[in-house]
Parts: sequence; structure tokens; C-alpha cells
Amino acid sequence: MDFPTSHIDLSNVEAISRGDPQRMKKYILQFQELIPERLLLLKEALQTKNRVQIRQITHKMIPQLQFFGVREISVPISRLEYEYMSMSMEELEGIVSHIISTLERALDEVSKILKERFD
Amino acid sequence: MIIDDDPFIRDLLTDKLNQYFPEVKVIGTAENGKEGIRILNGANPQLVFLDVEMNDMTGFEMLGKLTQINFKTIFITSYRHYAIKAIRFNALDYLLKPIDLEELRNAISRFKSQSTSTEFQESIQQALVNFGNPNPKDQILSLNTQDGLLRIPLKDIVHIQGDRNYSSIFLSKGKKHVVSKTLSDLEEILADKNFFRCHKSHLVNKTHIQSQPNSFSIQLATDLILPISRRKRDEFTVWFNSQTWD
Repeated sequence: MDFPTSHIDLSNVEAISRGDPQRMKKYILQFQELIPERLLLLKEALQTKNRVQIRQITHKMIPQLQFFGVREISVPISRLEYEYMSMSMEELEGIVSHIISTLERALDEVSKILKERFD
Repeated sequence: MIIDDDPFIRDLLTDKLNQYFPEVKVIGTAENGKEGIRILNGANPQLVFLDVEMNDMTGFEMLGKLTQINFKTIFITSYRHYAIKAIRFNALDYLLKPIDLEELRNAISRFKSQSTSTEFQESIQQALVNFGNPNPKDQILSLNTQDGLLRIPLKDIVHIQGDRNYSSIFLSKGKKHVVSKTLSDLEEILADKNFFRCHKSHLVNKTHIQSQPNSFSIQLATDLILPISRRKRDEFTVWFNSQTWD
């Protein structure tokens, strides 16, 4: 199956699914379900400027983002892992906002794929 | 059995095990430590994939709550988690999320070939003791060797000398162990345990340092003199001068 994407890379999903569209759909639906929940928590943590919570939420998302090839934010997330306490609040807010907007675009892409290929 | 609070990881690991390791049967999954304890008290798995950091407790805390551990464990964690150092210090096995197939293959292979579950139980008990003893002098380093598991109290290690892929661990009573780990591997595990890399070939236990005869050498309590590399001299001198010697 060919999935032209720009924010996500479905190679890993395709590999684990071995051509089984139902299994592929299961992983994509899981992304569509889990990432918005975590984005909501991330937005709340950003509003309360809770550095520890921000790091915990982004840390928790790492495996799924790596699996879905969301490479655009791998460096910012990695920076949060190490510098979440030391970087300025302004920079931290900028990075988290970038992560949120990228993931929202990735979610749009996922919705489109689900609609066009799996409906 | 798989215990992880991330449904994505539980599904992914289950699928990978089912697809690539037909000899491994997943008998259950749990979404937190509490559920893990409940299931483990009724089931009898040979191997548990256990998340290091769950919402309700850490994987180590969960193991500490079990009355009996008659299974082996492979910890699963996100990359560069602080617990990796502790896992390695205790010679336990781990996989990085989102679970690379080759790494999983190697871990399954180690599970089949390595220590018995009794040895693993001892390792876990030792790890729990180490966690309860933040003072390095009370901790015991575990290393997997060709002859089995090697356990060395940190206070007995005087210094470690590296030679490419091997390291010689010199103990206070004159004994020596050679292990197939690089000095950098050991430095990473021991850096926050009062050890100091004084030279590219030497890692020294600070508690065994006797004196600094000159700016480029260290004298140990065993009278052995080790070199300090040029770029480490300032760091060492600052630390040495800050100590109160009896």
C-alpha cells in the first residue's frame, strides 16, 4: 500500500502489519486515540508551566512517535528530555508549541489516511 | 507476560512476539503494576516484560511487592531513561521502546541461554537491596561473565584497568577479575558511585586514593601509583584538595 505522507512515516506500521489492513488500522486508530489525550495533557501542563509534567508527557509519547516516524520533532523532544529544567520558560514554551502543532498536523494526516484508505 | 501502562507498547510487543517468536506464548498483559501483581500471583510465566516507569509504581517497586519471583524479567524503557544505569549496574536485561526486532531477538536468546530463574531472583533481590542503599559503599556491582554472574562489593574495588574490549578489576585483597566490558562501559555505570576516570586506561575508586604524590599521579591505598592524564589533572586536584583526609 502506498501512503504519501509528510509528517508521519508508516514504514514501521506496514512492517509489523505484514500487509494485513486490519492490523494496520489498529495501530493507526491507536495513534489517533492516544496522541490527542496526551496533547490535551501537554496543553494543560504548558498552561500551568509544569516543567516536570511536560517532560513526563513527551517522554511517554516517544515510542509511538518513533514508531510512526514523526522525525520532525525528535530533536526538540530529545532536548526536553535533558534540558526541561534548565532551558528558559520562553524556549520551553516555544518547543512545546512546535511539538503540539506538528502532532496536530500528523493527526490530520492520520485522519485522512483512515478516511481514504480504511473506510 | 507483558506489563506496561502504554497500550501501544503492549500491542506492539505482543504482535512482534507472535509473529517472530512462535515458541514464545504471551499468556497475559497488564496495564499497571497493581494488575501485574494480581496476575502474577495467579499465573506462572517464565518471562515478564516489565515497564520501568508505570503510572502507579515503578517496575522495581512492583517486583519488591511480590512474595516470590520465579520468572525472569526483561525491563522495557524509553531511551536514555535514568533507570538504565541502575539496570546495567545490576546486570539485568532491558529493551528500549519501541522495541527493535534485532534487540528483541538478542534478548530472547539471552533469556534462553543465560542464568536460571533462581539466579535471576538473586539478582533482583540484590538490585532491590542496592536501591535501598543509596550509599555506594554498601552496594554490590553485578556483572555477567562467561562463568556466570559475578558480584563485587563496590567498596572492594580499588581500580579498574581497561584494555580494549576487556577490563581488569583489581580488588583490595589482591584479587583480580577480568570482564568483557570496556572501561567506558564500566565508567558509565560507576560514574556516580564515587569512581573517577583518571586516565584513558584507568578508573579508580576514590575511596581507595591515598595521596597525590605529584600533579600527574595518584597513589592508592595498595601503594600502587596510577597516572592522571593531562586533561584530568585540574579536575582531580580540585576534588583531591576539597577532601578532608584523616
